[in-house]
Amino acid sequence: MATAKLKQEINAALQKDNLKGALGRFGEAYPAAREKAYEGKDFEAIREKIRIAKSYAAENMEKLADQFAANAEKNGAIVFRAKTAQEAKEYILKVARENNVNHIIKSKSMASEEIHLNKFLNENGIQDVAESDLGEWIIQLCGQRPSHMVMPAIHMTRGEVAEVFSKEVNENLEPDIPKLVKVARENLRNKFLRAEMGISGANIAVAETGTIVMCTNEGNGRLTTTVPPIHVVLVGIEKLVAKFEDVGPILEALPRSATGQKLTSYVTMMTGPTAAIDMDGNIIEQKQMHIVLMDNGRTEMRNDPIFKQALQCIRCASCLNVCPVFQQVGGHVYGDVYTGGIGTILTAFLNSFEKAGELQNLCLRCERCKTFCPGKVDIPSLIVELRRRTVKKDGLPMGQKLILEKVLTNRKLFHSLIRTASLAQKPFVKGNMIRHLPLFFSGLTEGRSLPAVASTPLRDRVGHSVPRGKVKARVAYYAGCLGDFVYPEQGEAAYKVLNKMGMEIVFPLEQTCCGIPASQMGAPEVAVKLAKQNIEAFEKENVDYIVSLCPTCVEVLKHHYLDHFKDDPAWRARAEKIAAKVIDFASFVAKHGKDLKFKGLGINATYHDSCHMKRALGVWQEPRELLSKAGVNITEMKGCDECCGFGGSYSIKMPEISLAILDKKLANAEATGAGVLALDCPGCKMQISGGLDAKGKNMAVKHTAELLAEALKE
Amino acid sequence: MSAVQAKIPMKDAYSEFKGEALYEKFKTAAEALSAEVHRAANLEEARQLVAKLIGELKIEKAVYASSPLVDEVDIKAIGSKLGIVMTDENLRQNAADAGLGISQLDYAIAEIGTLVGNATSIESRMVSILPPVHMVFVRTKNLLPTLLDAIAVYNKNLGELPKYLTFVSGPSRTADIERVLTIGVHGPGRLIIVFID
Ligand code: SF4
Ligand code: SF4
Repeated sequence: MATAKLKQEINAALQKDNLKGALGRFGEAYPAAREKAYEGKDFEAIREKIRIAKSYAAENMEKLADQFAANAEKNGAIVFRAKTAQEAKEYILKVARENNVNHIIKSKSMASEEIHLNKFLNENGIQDVAESDLGEWIIQLCGQRPSHMVMPAIHMTRGEVAEVFSKEVNENLEPDIPKLVKVARENLRNKFLRAEMGISGANIAVAETGTIVMCTNEGNGRLTTTVPPIHVVLVGIEKLVAKFEDVGPILEALPRSATGQKLTSYVTMMTGPTAAIDMDGNIIEQKQMHIVLMDNGRTEMRNDPIFKQALQCIRCASCLNVCPVFQQVGGHVYGDVYTGGIGTILTAFLNSFEKAGELQNLCLRCERCKTFCPGKVDIPSLIVELRRRTVKKDGLPMGQKLILEKVLTNRKLFHSLIRTASLAQKPFVKGNMIRHLPLFFSGLTEGRSLPAVASTPLRDRVGHSVPRGKVKARVAYYAGCLGDFVYPEQGEAAYKVLNKMGMEIVFPLEQTCCGIPASQMGAPEVAVKLAKQNIEAFEKENVDYIVSLCPTCVEVLKHHYLDHFKDDPAWRARAEKIAAKVIDFASFVAKHGKDLKFKGLGINATYHDSCHMKRALGVWQEPRELLSKAGVNITEMKGCDECCGFGGSYSIKMPEISLAILDKKLANAEATGAGVLALDCPGCKMQISGGLDAKGKNMAVKHTAELLAEALKE
Repeated sequence: MSAVQAKIPMKDAYSEFKGEALYEKFKTAAEALSAEVHRAANLEEARQLVAKLIGELKIEKAVYASSPLVDEVDIKAIGSKLGIVMTDENLRQNAADAGLGISQLDYAIAEIGTLVGNATSIESRMVSILPPVHMVFVRTKNLLPTLLDAIAVYNKNLGELPKYLTFVSGPSRTADIERVLTIGVHGPGRLIIVFID
């Protein structure tokens, strides 16, 4: 659970309109700019090449580090291998002292932020350590941390920057961006000319040639590596690649994904030291070039069979740019130099596992970042793994432990508790929504009404159903918890449609929760128990298909179960048999319901793509086609495939962020003017209709199954 | 000029029919990045063009880095004709207050409007980084289709990889304040590219 401090920071961030404005605008503009930059490029092919190159490099990290060091030294550079942050810092200080350095100019380096190099140099007597990247300089002047790997000062407005610069240059500056940039140029130019040492980072380090590759836009990287007579490169060993040609795909993807540019203004590839001009104007034939190859937790990450995948990251930050949580709260909430989803994982290894254990709560598991990542890092899965390990270490809070282990795995007890809840909630139900809960539960209903538990669950309403005429196939219906106990009407609608299609339907009564809440909360052993119960329930019925209205349940039954049993061949074989039959409702109807006849509904709707439907199952065209066949006219909303903020237990753990994301969704939906919001996920329905109800809006939220059933010709 | 350059096989290099298309593609891509693109059919035309472009800048001092193409154009003569200081000496000082820097780069990438070249000599870097305007000469026959082609050219001869290989795409830029694009931060605010056939 999130600590009080994290909660406070979240609330503060959500209050900042500046922040949300800047991040939100960028978040909206980013996908289009990126898309344009990739025009004519095959993103999947490029990122597969990057994955191959970077995973090979991770596997062979020591070997490549040795090879790089040998080649760089052959080229004339001095290579220092730093195991820890401390060793890296001390080495750089030593070089500075040995050369009587008083002024240092830096170009952007996340590695130096990671080890807090500036602070260390300052504390050890080198007062003048200036950042030269504009964004970095801004945050340096106001003593902050970068909030974003690529755009460190994205959280600040021009007004705030003007204030900061005014103080620095002792002048009253207007908030005019070109003028502010000019002030930075002039001020920093002097610093460049008087610096005896330049420190830079690197984007890629090539083992076979000992080459350092740097991408910059402002030109500060070239100045840092050219003007001062000593150059120190601080590079993490995850930046290594084996071959010079591996640079190609990374350079194709990094700028496009980072800022929507086809290439940064400058790319510099340094293979050994070059000449420099010393402070007195004399040419030095070969300047000092020190390359600090830093480990600081990276080897440990590589040795981890699951987390080593994160070493494929090329630090483009596109996972932050598309993350709905990051767009709401910005980077500072993450509390460390690496922010966002990938930042949470990096923090665990490069900084502190404890801190990361708390931060993983911020992820909604909406999977959006995964589809954008040029390094093919499965960030949401890594975050779930982080959660699992945190729980393993710290244990679950008592209440949760009890519910998961004692209640969830005992279907009869679980279901009878839900039925009891249906009675207990009575005083608070209005219509079919709970608007208020007493006292300490009230947080759950703030800004969002809760749906009431249905008085009669689906399992008591439907059962075995045989179609009129010839039976085309035998289908088992999987309801999922919400579908069973909260939205039985959706299931009834599905039954109607399936029946019309000629399907015989059975409802295996021993079916239970798919297990996702347990996996998400970090209790995989509970999830495995539930998986076994469901597999057994379905095995008893000899069916051709297993259909569900819930895309998350489908994902779990179809994909997660296979993972659960990857070390248990007998159960794995059983899970595979079941998985092969599982399909989501929309895909099933699109495939087998071609003969369905509809009367035109003639209504205007907008469609919300649920995260798991679109990204985990890859289904988004089918429901739109079905709906338009049923006479539903769809007006697409802005960001139709952006998360609604539900994220399962997320809406309970992080209600503030969840609501902020929901508000954005509601505004986009309303802007279409449609009377109905169609979707394919009971969880999203709970979130979205709860939000609409709390705001007193009368847009109806309907599952595709309900709309199709309404449109069926008798 | 890099040693590698002489060794590119013909199929990578400019040839009559694909050359025009590559040039046009480069021009479109580079102009989209706010670079200025010109072309001269021969050295004589190049001298006139360069003199005209420098004249328009209304500057008093320019710095240059000697290279085969810069020397062939005879930039020094152009400087004295225009009556401005044109020097390649004491660049730590001169480049810092010159209005223009002139150098040669080796290749041009049509797909993305990028120039590539060996910038190992400290002079070529000082003149291309410090002044507010950077003028680059490049041979038209050295247009390459894509970034990967450029990388392949150097990859063929890794033993002779330049010590400082530079890729330049448009003038220096930033979007660090409110994501608003601003041209001309630490590097030059104008990039003038002159292709010489
Ligand atoms: S995880 Fe992927 S998307 Fe995120 S910064 Fe790394 S490479 Fe970019
Ligand atoms: S899964 Fe969604 S919420 Fe989690 S890091 Fe990725 S984009 Fe952000």
